[in-house]
Amino acid sequence: MTAPHTTAIGRPDAGGGAPITTTIRIRLRTPARLRNLELLLLLVALGVGASAIALVDLGALGELDGAMLTLAALPAGLVLVLHVVERVVAPEGDPFVVPIATALTGLGIAMIHRLDIAEGYEGWSAYAVRQAVWATIAIVLAITGLVLVRNHRVLQRYRYIAMFLGILLLLLPVVPVIGETGANADVWVRIGFFSFQPGEFAKILLAVFFAGYLVTARDSLSMVGRSFLGLRLPRARDLGPILVVWVLSMGVIVIQKDLGTALLYFGLFLVMLYVATGRGSWILIGLALFAAGGWLATRMLPYVQGRFANWLDAFNPEIYDREGGSYQLVQGIFGLADGGLIGTGLGQGRPDIVPLAESDYIIASLGEELGLIGLFAILSLYLIFVARGFRIGVAGQDDFGRLLAVGLSFVVGLQVFIVIGGVTRIIPLTGLTTPFLAAGGSSLVANWIIVALLLRLSDAVRQQPHAVVESGGAA
Amino acid sequence: MSELTLLVLRLGFLILMWAFVFMVVYALRSDLFGTRVRKLPQQGTTETFPSTPLPAPAAAAPPLASVTEPVRAQPHASGTTPRRLVITSGPKEGMEIELPAEQLTIGRSSESGLVIRDDYTSTHHARLMLWNDEWVIQDLDSTNGTFLDGTRVTLPTPVPVGSTVTIGTTSFELRR
Repeated sequence: MTAPHTTAIGRPDAGGGAPITTTIRIRLRTPARLRNLELLLLLVALGVGASAIALVDLGALGELDGAMLTLAALPAGLVLVLHVVERVVAPEGDPFVVPIATALTGLGIAMIHRLDIAEGYEGWSAYAVRQAVWATIAIVLAITGLVLVRNHRVLQRYRYIAMFLGILLLLLPVVPVIGETGANADVWVRIGFFSFQPGEFAKILLAVFFAGYLVTARDSLSMVGRSFLGLRLPRARDLGPILVVWVLSMGVIVIQKDLGTALLYFGLFLVMLYVATGRGSWILIGLALFAAGGWLATRMLPYVQGRFANWLDAFNPEIYDREGGSYQLVQGIFGLADGGLIGTGLGQGRPDIVPLAESDYIIASLGEELGLIGLFAILSLYLIFVARGFRIGVAGQDDFGRLLAVGLSFVVGLQVFIVIGGVTRIIPLTGLTTPFLAAGGSSLVANWIIVALLLRLSDAVRQQPHAVVESGGAA
Repeated sequence: MSELTLLVLRLGFLILMWAFVFMVVYALRSDLFGTRVRKLPQQGTTETFPSTPLPAPAAAAPPLASVTEPVRAQPHASGTTPRRLVITSGPKEGMEIELPAEQLTIGRSSESGLVIRDDYTSTHHARLMLWNDEWVIQDLDSTNGTFLDGTRVTLPTPVPVGSTVTIGTTSFELRR
């Protein structure tokens, strides 16, 4: 559809004049305004992170131990480098995503540091030290991504490569030699001493693929088909891709025993499909498919059954005490209850009782020590982050960029919902990482890459239309 | 460290977190970042885009200009280059926009310079390009075609002043 747009046309007259290709317009209107705003917010965000770490030291140790603060200065400095880089390569990027990501990363490091103190981890075995190093790597990669990808439309070209890489990454954990069986789900890959969760990167690659695919395929997906009860049903051949993605996510459930990841990918695809076509029927078909698959899974797979039992009947002593039972879930809820409205204070609660408090259950730990008020501040930050992503999508100039922005921010939002919903017993618990907060390098790197992509997409929102002719009767 | 100091610090931290949230929300309120699609008045009014003043002598002195211009054997190209696009029929009849420096894309996509949203317009429908001080219309493989004075445009074709270009239900012509 865009191909004729780029076709080179010979000039009828070769004699002089300006070249046909569009000249680069240099915009002289106050480009630094957004960046100055970002710098201000960034300094406050760094203040939030630093005071959280300092309060953890004061609350848990009773004195200010500067070691963690010193280490956290490394990612903090790099965030400022990222800011300076933005001034050069993405001067009109969104000014909110980086400060929000910084504040959340800082809170995460502080909480993980607090759990390290409780567990007695020090040096390189301390999760917080590794988290700070990972944050550094993540921000360096975000800077690299921002510098290398100067035009997001380039990504559209690599949509099928993104798809294959994404599926490959998803399947890596089941490869015998490098796959590693975790506590429940097989989502880890270990190469030498280095282990990572490939699923986190797969979500970005799949978002790129879905956006690229739907830009070309949406006309046949939305226009063709028969109407039935007010719903436009798609043709059988157009159903192909949605079935492929569905089979893929069901495969993830069966092989990797990971309900959350499957829900994440399928939800991502459904929402992007809906945004691309504007057809509610796709959502209904997708939800029906997922419900059917989920129902089958609860019947056939014992571990899914166990998750549902933990969720519905968490306080039953039998379920609480059994292996893989609801002990963790209930302890998390007790922690949240102990926190109450204003929390026990950083470093003064007992969040370490909950297993995996620094990764899957970081939100319960934060809820215990910061209380409902603190938890809601964190949720507001996520809300604004996702809303900014949607805003970038709405204001976007090209369809690929719009879909990608919606997809990337939605995947962050959905992930937050799946994790926090699981911890607070709204939906069955599935092990996903809380974006930016939870301990884990892969998650941190992947989410900072999302930040870089959102910056790039928002920077591209520049050339606005001159005029709009809207026909009254037409849709 | 006394209990009281810790309590004050911990409440202070919650206030700091919310202060950050409210700073972001406050900045969002005044943020100009967003869609700047300018919707025009519905009926018959004339506006220019962007709001730079029209050069007054351009319309006043066509004969002079035809002499001073580099000689080209084009019957219609005499006079100065058109500077305005006037919609002569369609939903926004009478709307007038100023032609940009070198090209104007037309289509349903909001990337376009002139966005026409009706049932007949393709996403990237056509474009007007300035070649040697002459506006040329090129159809970008649109489904329903671009018409110049009733003839379907297949190759980039010069648009003389006063002839009608039709895209979907919208017709426009170029004026000086």
